[in-house]
Amino acid sequence: MPTSWWTRNRHYFAYMLREFSSVPMALWMLWFLVEIQRAGGPAAQYRPHGSPAFIAFSVIVLLFSLYHSVTFLSLAGTILHFKVFDRPVPSRLIVLAMFGMWLVASVVVAFVLVWFAR
Amino acid sequence: MSTGVGKRPALSHLFFWFLFSQGGVLVALLLPAHVLVQGILGPLGFVPVADRHYDTWFSLLGNPLVKLYLLALFAFAFFHYAHRIRYLLVDLGLHAARSVPAQVIFYGGAAVVTLITLWILLTTAPLFH
Repeated sequence: MPTSWWTRNRHYFAYMLREFSSVPMALWMLWFLVEIQRAGGPAAQYRPHGSPAFIAFSVIVLLFSLYHSVTFLSLAGTILHFKVFDRPVPSRLIVLAMFGMWLVASVVVAFVLVWFAR
Repeated sequence: MSTGVGKRPALSHLFFWFLFSQGGVLVALLLPAHVLVQGILGPLGFVPVADRHYDTWFSLLGNPLVKLYLLALFAFAFFHYAHRIRYLLVDLGLHAARSVPAQVIFYGGAAVVTLITLWILLTTAPLFH
């Protein structure tokens, strides 16, 4: 099979895009690790990343990361099967719960990052 | 007559799915907020963010719960990334990515990142100082 098989069809392309999203997300998290490690150095030398290139990179990573979230959390309805009182929970309800958890988790993360900036 | 036992997934398959899917779920739930706040809103100055200043970042990283959270996030996330990137290479025609040495490199790489994260979390804003 030619290595360009995934460019032939929109669904294949979306699948590859989803697989590829791990690359920018991993790179961003390595940057995150550097930011954590920098807090171990002297206070006077601490410079957080903030260049226009870094912000542009973050915008691209955010798009990939949102794509991962939407596709992966939607998949949860297919993967997870629960029974309540011996009746299966509808997959749509599971997906809805996952998106609800995403909202709550995002608010908590953002709140902690902003609250501790004071 | 079917007893239903044969339909159950193998235990190793279950374990593998647990690691991979936990990483995927954690990244899905948590990463967009980190990228938006720390990568875009903070650097642009729209909101104050803890990592913009040494004092606030140091004190936040000194919290044991924050350390535990970051360790879990990095460990699961990089196992997930390792698996996905390995299969990305397989899908791009690199069949060697299926081999055992490739698995050792990718999952070993995720383990190395986890150990580095642990080391950074223990030495940065240490709990006992």
